Amino acid sequence: MRGTGVRAIYGLEIRSLLRDRRTVFVSIVLPVVLMPLLLLASSRVERSRQQREESRHYKYAVVGSDSTFMLELLGDSVRRDGGEPADSAAPTFETVPTTDALNDLESRAIEFFVESLGPEEWRAFLAEDTARADELEDFHDTPVARVNFRSNRRSSSVGARQLRTRLAEIRRVRRDSVLVEAGFPIHPENLATLDVRNVASAVEVAGARLGRMLTLFVVLLMMAGGGVLATDTLAGEKERGTLVTLLTTGATRAEIIWAKLVAVTSVALVIVLIQIVNLWIYLGLGLIDVSSGFSVSVAPATALVLFVLYVPVAALASGILLITSAYAKTYKEAQLLFMPAMIGLLLPTLAPFLPEVSLSSAIVLVPLANVAIAARDVLVGQANWLMIGIAWLVTAAAAAYAGRIAARALEDENLVAGADSDRAAFLGGPALFRKRVLHWFVVFWAVKILLEMNIAFDDIRWTALFHVGVVFLAAPLLMVWHFKLDIREALALRAPKAGVWLGVVLGAPAALIVVTGFFQLVNLVLPMPRELLENFGQAILPEGIPVWQIVIFLSVIPGIVEELTFRGALLHGLRRRFSPVVLSLVVGGIFGFFHFQIFRIPSTAVLGVILAGITVLTGSIFPAMLWHAINNALALYLGSEGVDLGGGTWMTYASASVALALALWIVWLNRSLYPDLKGQLPSRGAHEHSNSARPEPPG
Amino acid sequence: MSAASVRIEGLTKVFYDDSRGEVRAVDDVHVECASGEILGLLGANGAGKTTTLRMLSTVLTPTGGCAWVMGHELREAPQDVRLSIGFYSASTALYPKITPRETLRFFARVNRYPPDRVEERVELLIDRFGLSEYADSRVEKLSSGMKQKVSIARTLAHDPPVLIFDEPTVALDVLNALELREIIGQLRDDGKAIIFSTHVMSEAEQLCDRIAIIHNGRILACDTLDGLRGVTGKHYLEEIFVHFARDSEA
Repeated sequence: MRGTGVRAIYGLEIRSLLRDRRTVFVSIVLPVVLMPLLLLASSRVERSRQQREESRHYKYAVVGSDSTFMLELLGDSVRRDGGEPADSAAPTFETVPTTDALNDLESRAIEFFVESLGPEEWRAFLAEDTARADELEDFHDTPVARVNFRSNRRSSSVGARQLRTRLAEIRRVRRDSVLVEAGFPIHPENLATLDVRNVASAVEVAGARLGRMLTLFVVLLMMAGGGVLATDTLAGEKERGTLVTLLTTGATRAEIIWAKLVAVTSVALVIVLIQIVNLWIYLGLGLIDVSSGFSVSVAPATALVLFVLYVPVAALASGILLITSAYAKTYKEAQLLFMPAMIGLLLPTLAPFLPEVSLSSAIVLVPLANVAIAARDVLVGQANWLMIGIAWLVTAAAAAYAGRIAARALEDENLVAGADSDRAAFLGGPALFRKRVLHWFVVFWAVKILLEMNIAFDDIRWTALFHVGVVFLAAPLLMVWHFKLDIREALALRAPKAGVWLGVVLGAPAALIVVTGFFQLVNLVLPMPRELLENFGQAILPEGIPVWQIVIFLSVIPGIVEELTFRGALLHGLRRRFSPVVLSLVVGGIFGFFHFQIFRIPSTAVLGVILAGITVLTGSIFPAMLWHAINNALALYLGSEGVDLGGGTWMTYASASVALALALWIVWLNRSLYPDLKGQLPSRGAHEHSNSARPEPPG
Repeated sequence: MSAASVRIEGLTKVFYDDSRGEVRAVDDVHVECASGEILGLLGANGAGKTTTLRMLSTVLTPTGGCAWVMGHELREAPQDVRLSIGFYSASTALYPKITPRETLRFFARVNRYPPDRVEERVELLIDRFGLSEYADSRVEKLSSGMKQKVSIARTLAHDPPVLIFDEPTVALDVLNALELREIIGQLRDDGKAIIFSTHVMSEAEQLCDRIAIIHNGRILACDTLDGLRGVTGKHYLEEIFVHFARDSEA
């Protein structure tokens, strides 16, 4: 990549932007004026609303069987009833007569009404309402006041709340006086002294408040600022015809994308800076009074750190915008894609709102969310610089990857020149499956997360049956059906050579110990909380279920269906994209990522790599199924017997490694390679399956 | 490799259309173009001219066959191909917010013209194409004829040895079209290899050293005008074109 080319295109982008008066007005001038006006207006509206509510005169009615007592009680609560308010800022209440309280509430003649109920009426009511039946036990035949209001009317809600507060206060005062009259040795107020002290500094409090929403606000500004240029720079250029002009020059695709990425990023950052400085000035001049507790002073060093933190955020936001622009065939299509892109980018920035989430967790690997947490930590003054560095790198890597995807779009003549020359897309079937398999698994991953979050059964057997049995079986079958694949080929349903089984029976227990050792190593780097481990163990090994059933639901079923999905459909789809070794690593890695708890990903990925390797070597899914089932069954059995696999010595792990190597050697000796792989491993004679592979048109 | 600046062997492009199925827009095309030569691609609309030239300019990837530009193969060295060509077509527009001078400067830089000679090159092109009057006005303010001139000038910003023009005179009035043809003639005299597509018979007759007649994606004949006359016994290019087109459909 040449700097001259990048500089030339970058200069062109910025010059074109600055000369477009409408764009400058919409993306810079208008927000600079509107943003403070919006804040100013909302703060004024809020203040006036509060003032109105505080000094409002509320009309209400009292109805019910014991309204005399209630009126007397309310008389104490709302002493200024209908009279001159002692404090002009306080609300006043006026009782009005009514014959139909509900109708008066509906017609706004009153804001709420108090219903006085006798003990028997209240008992009858509680008895009818099954949800509140428990309250009957604690009910001591006291008069009941029920405040009826309409929550869809603010004045009704606020008035009812104000009255409830006063009623609670008068109830407390009366209760205390009863206690004192009954001989309570001290005044109930003096029973215990309650004091509250906030040990957080003002900076920390303000930082926590600002830190929660700063990234959300910054990304919103970035999207608003960079969106115009990003949409115009690729989708707009496609429509104007300048993109083809640029693509036929000596600039490489990477130069073009990097120049545009830097242009959009710098515009986004400049707009954010302008907006923040703008707000700072307005706040400093006292033109905007956001709220009394919202004053924050950010030291110059902190501001610099925040700026550095937000550079990859701006680059990632720009990269995502460029992807939408590159994949859109028209400017209008790019505009349509803008909203989902913005929602997708804003969601991770809500991470600081999650309770107790810290950078020392899996969140550090989630781009944007990690920087949002890092920004909060910096503002609160609790920065873990190592984790912040990792967060920065992860988001920067995501930005680079987004740029790469956008650059790839420029290689796609279907997108650039509108040419329908994708043979696989036209033909469909196996050729298209190879191209789309990863897309399908990304969607499948997202669906799987949603299902796991939203569908749970009390019985672990049903949970396993649904989340593993049904979902993992449905996915490969859906792919086979949709892409019209030969089910035997796609899921590698072929018999392996007989000798392979010996390797599997020897290798599965050995691999379990080796993988457990690997888990111990990972635990040193990514420590798993003890509590989580215990909860996980309890969830996996519930009491009261026969062991044989646990084995069926957690060993046999996963062994079959997870293999059909990963070593079946996924491996089949990727077999010509990667060499056999990389193929095993990729399939294993993806398998790991389907085990959503971060501490399980590395060890399950290692198991996945071994199982993929076995399938590649044997050309059959069945050895991997048996291996997987033995692995799970053994782990569950040993767990139920209290054997701690992680407590082995180095000798245990070394012996297991030797046994695993021996098992793999046995499999290697009996290999009959997976057909139609990219490149070829040395085969042991003619493969018995290779002839059965249905020839597919080149993709 | 032959000494031709552009050599096309068996170039094929297949599109896939839901209603028409597999469409061979360009089918096994073989042609060559040498330095100082204008090769005319003559064909009706949809004959495959634009697709052929878009493949030569690396906008589209060939489905089959090969092509070399200044010795660089399209798929093996697309970057070198792009640096060796100046490509103009109706789909290659100019940046509206910059001036012709800035346009020429930008395309010279982005096409790796020696930085110390960029300004000199820009001034030369402004003079040659008579752009000085509006060299500092924004492109969006120019008339169609002026824009066309700037477009052709920008293909020359980095002084490439091969020029590919896809119907450059479309939408131009008679005088502007004439002026443009004169410029293209001069560029041939400068030693450029020029591939020029048109469906206007008279334009091909006047300008092209050799004419390749393309129909339904296939090259039916490629020769000088006299050569084509000799083969067909027809005098006018229109008659010659119809002769080959009907012959191929018979």
